[in-house]
Amino acid sequence: VDEADVERLAAHLGLTIEAAWRAAVAAHLDGLLAAARLVAEFPLPEDTEPAPRFEP
Amino acid sequence: MATESSALAIADAVRAGTARARDVVAGALEGIARRDPALNCFTSVRHDAALAEADAVDRRLAAGGDAGPLAGVPFAVKNLFDVAGLATLAGSKINAGQPPAARDATAVARLRAAGAVLVGVLNMDEYAYGFTTENTHYGPTRNPHDPTRVPGGSSGGSAAAVAAGLVPLTLGTDTNGSIRVPAALCGVFGLKPTFGRVSRAGVVPLAWSFDHAGPFARDVADLAAAYDAIAGPDPRDPACATSAAAPCAVQLGRGTEGLRIAVLGGHFTRLAGDEALAAVARVAAALRARAEVTLPEAHRARAAAQVITACEGGAYHLERLRTRAADFDPMTRDRFLAGAVLPAAAYTRAQRFRAWYRTRVAEAFREADVLLAPTTPWPALPIGAPMTTRIGDEEVFTRGHLGVFTQPLSFVGLPVISVPLVAAGALPVGVQLIAAPFNEAALFRVAAQLEADGVVAAPVAVSRH
Repeated sequence: VDEADVERLAAHLGLTIEAAWRAAVAAHLDGLLAAARLVAEFPLPEDTEPAPRFEP
Repeated sequence: MATESSALAIADAVRAGTARARDVVAGALEGIARRDPALNCFTSVRHDAALAEADAVDRRLAAGGDAGPLAGVPFAVKNLFDVAGLATLAGSKINAGQPPAARDATAVARLRAAGAVLVGVLNMDEYAYGFTTENTHYGPTRNPHDPTRVPGGSSGGSAAAVAAGLVPLTLGTDTNGSIRVPAALCGVFGLKPTFGRVSRAGVVPLAWSFDHAGPFARDVADLAAAYDAIAGPDPRDPACATSAAAPCAVQLGRGTEGLRIAVLGGHFTRLAGDEALAAVARVAAALRARAEVTLPEAHRARAAAQVITACEGGAYHLERLRTRAADFDPMTRDRFLAGAVLPAAAYTRAQRFRAWYRTRVAEAFREADVLLAPTTPWPALPIGAPMTTRIGDEEVFTRGHLGVFTQPLSFVGLPVISVPLVAAGALPVGVQLIAAPFNEAALFRVAAQLEADGVVAAPVAVSRH
């Protein structure tokens, strides 16, 4: 993820990310995408649903 | 009567007429005025209002009325909780401009209904998104054991105020570890109840999927008394369980006989410092817990918790990020912005993984009733620590890593008490006692046994500096 990616993604949501913040936002987004990959790599059964009605 | 006394000792004395609520509360306010400037736990102190409310407790008792099980006990809450008449800061500059809350958060109202007297509100990481309480707007809260170090977060003011003996009881919130982490680093008891067991009505959200409210105290009986006062159904919180909460104070003398206690292995032993692992070993030895249980894919559970928190937090704050981004704390702003732009597929996958993981965790509780794990990998960090730290071959985010052992548990709403261990001359560390959903009673039995055996304790902090 680079700063231009951050700017493009933010524009879709009506967010303006100041130039001074973009590198840090890109670094955090990189970290979140790495976390998302770690989750996505796990072979979940097709029929696993999210739990909008959550009872622990 | 000193506020270093336990909450229940204060309530007993006030109810028996050997102490006046006004004197107890005045003593707490005097201690806060004298000692808090060096610690920065409080962001607002209710001086006159607290004294007036203490007078009301005394009048009720003088008239022969029942002033409640926590009569005259001074308490304080994280400034994430609504308090009627105060703007709910949530650690932010933005919310300081909001009108005062019209009514108390349910948990605050319930403690007040039990006779406790609210003396103020406490510092935190902005919008509860952090583990250190290094708040740029209101300054860092300092760890009472060593003021050059953080108290943990995001409920850092709540833990530090109890550890310092400023008040015997506080409330905090925990999404990924924000009660348990500061409880460990400040050397006090902290309870994150089961998801849905304590109302979050009137509490500013961080991530709806995992937000919990719970108490801090310096002994197990006080923790149970506070939990018993606040737990139970609340129609104002749509996630609150509708079943009644079983009182836990009555569990404290029962001991641990019949409870199967095991140590969590795998993820919960990796990337931890020696102090953290030694604390678990000490607690396990005291409880004669020899079995080991593994929660499969706990590292992915933590990753999924990070994704969901960032997405829900970014979504909740989206309008403020559009219009007031420059007014956020730089410690949180860039992470909320990153969460706001994360793809929906990542969020959905993380929620699906959560459903799978919840089933595996339920299976683990067929083998044990209570599980043990470190609360944090390290004792308190210095204020202003570097962004990253190397552990062996891995580079980790220094602050984020504080939640490595708490996040996989709050992810599926398990009840956890962090119990404190303080060795002479060392900084405190915490051990998590973990149970199946709605089995807080087992946690209180184990915590009380450990306290009775002298394994865990939360003496008022004495600064090393």
